[in-house]
Amino acid sequence: MNAPAQLVSKILVLENSADCYDRIKVFCDLNGLVGLKVQGEHVMSVLRSNVDLGGILMSISYSDSESSGIALARRIHAVRPELPIFLRCEKKAAESAGNAAELSAADRKLFACTYLIDDTAGLRAAIETSIFSQVYPNVLVRGITEITRSALESQFKEMSIDVEPPYLVRDRIIFGEIFTLIPIESSWCRGYMMLDAGEEPMLQLVRANRTHANADANGGSDFRNLNNVLGEITNLIWGAFRNRYISYVDSQVSSAQVPIIINHLHRYISFGSDDAQLCFKYTLTDKNDSNALSRTIHQRFIFNLNWSPEDFMENQASIEALFESGELELF
Amino acid sequence: MAQILVVDDSSTVRNEVGDFLKKNGLEVLLAVDGRDGLVKLKGDAGIKLVLSDVNMPNMDGLTMAEKIRSELNNNSVNIIMLTTENSPIMKERGKAAGIKGWIVKPFKGDAVLATFKKLVGV
Repeated sequence: MNAPAQLVSKILVLENSADCYDRIKVFCDLNGLVGLKVQGEHVMSVLRSNVDLGGILMSISYSDSESSGIALARRIHAVRPELPIFLRCEKKAAESAGNAAELSAADRKLFACTYLIDDTAGLRAAIETSIFSQVYPNVLVRGITEITRSALESQFKEMSIDVEPPYLVRDRIIFGEIFTLIPIESSWCRGYMMLDAGEEPMLQLVRANRTHANADANGGSDFRNLNNVLGEITNLIWGAFRNRYISYVDSQVSSAQVPIIINHLHRYISFGSDDAQLCFKYTLTDKNDSNALSRTIHQRFIFNLNWSPEDFMENQASIEALFESGELELF
Repeated sequence: MAQILVVDDSSTVRNEVGDFLKKNGLEVLLAVDGRDGLVKLKGDAGIKLVLSDVNMPNMDGLTMAEKIRSELNNNSVNIIMLTTENSPIMKERGKAAGIKGWIVKPFKGDAVLATFKKLVGV
């Protein structure tokens, strides 16, 4: 397989001990985690915000204003069961207070693992399993950003596109008001690509004639105009992805499917898989006004039906074609 | 009478391509899929160039191209595909249907305008 991409994942750190926090921070730096420290009273509000988390590291003695330790873990698990929680215990199981042996059978299921600050081997293994279980070829990750940047630049006039380093999330929350989904089908990967954006900031670009959607009698305020723009961007990305990474003679594609479940009340989308999702965050900024409001588009790849990176390949001819897009090939 | 028929199920693409061609002095007619494209082409004898997407609901662009030749018996109109597809198999099918060329999206009008004008005779 091609060299794997170096990916990161954001993780909430709920920790009272300053000494342990420092050691956890070192652990995060060494293991591709971006630790986000949160004050107790803000935990639940952070979980409701657009943070794109990979998991939670918490101490058994941690508390917020409403509940402490295990009770807080129960509340977190109730609202975000997709997020693995890694619990730091105070003592070994054979000792008395503050250890994993005190947990009931039901409470044990809340945690992806329990660990001691002096022994993080188990934590490292649990993080590998829970968050970094799928590896992604660097060529693929880099190519996705190139393809997407090209698609965005073609559909938004006079906007510069920046992309953050790609990351992995376990979150299943839909944060934006508008999202698109398109199936990704090949012999080496099967799943979906999702684009996710807030409606009003993006609709402002439509109204300002910064897209190719026609401003209608309502000044372009019809949400369908934005739907069409994001739909075309999705189509362009999938088309370029297909040309670049899927063999033209790819005939061994499985037809297996699983239901996609969307719960509007909880803004939750399930693809039937627990694997972390590959995410990219694109920021659109006005080229002519750096002080203008920037817009964000989140892109997720969910390879829930098949992920066989060992069979990944890149169509060399299509890379050249990518850079020749828009040019006419005469027959 | 129009000179160019733009066929695409995406209104964004129809607007983008249509507006570009109109700004450059060309008469344009729009269609939302292959079926609509056939109707529009049949109703306008002035069309010299069909610019069409491939993947569309109801009728795809390659089927439309084949029907232009076989059912409308129109062998003179130029057909160019404007699509995200880059499959050699599809291109071969297009060639068999007598299409003139293939453009991989995104659309870059300045790169193809001169050829379009030549194909419509201006």
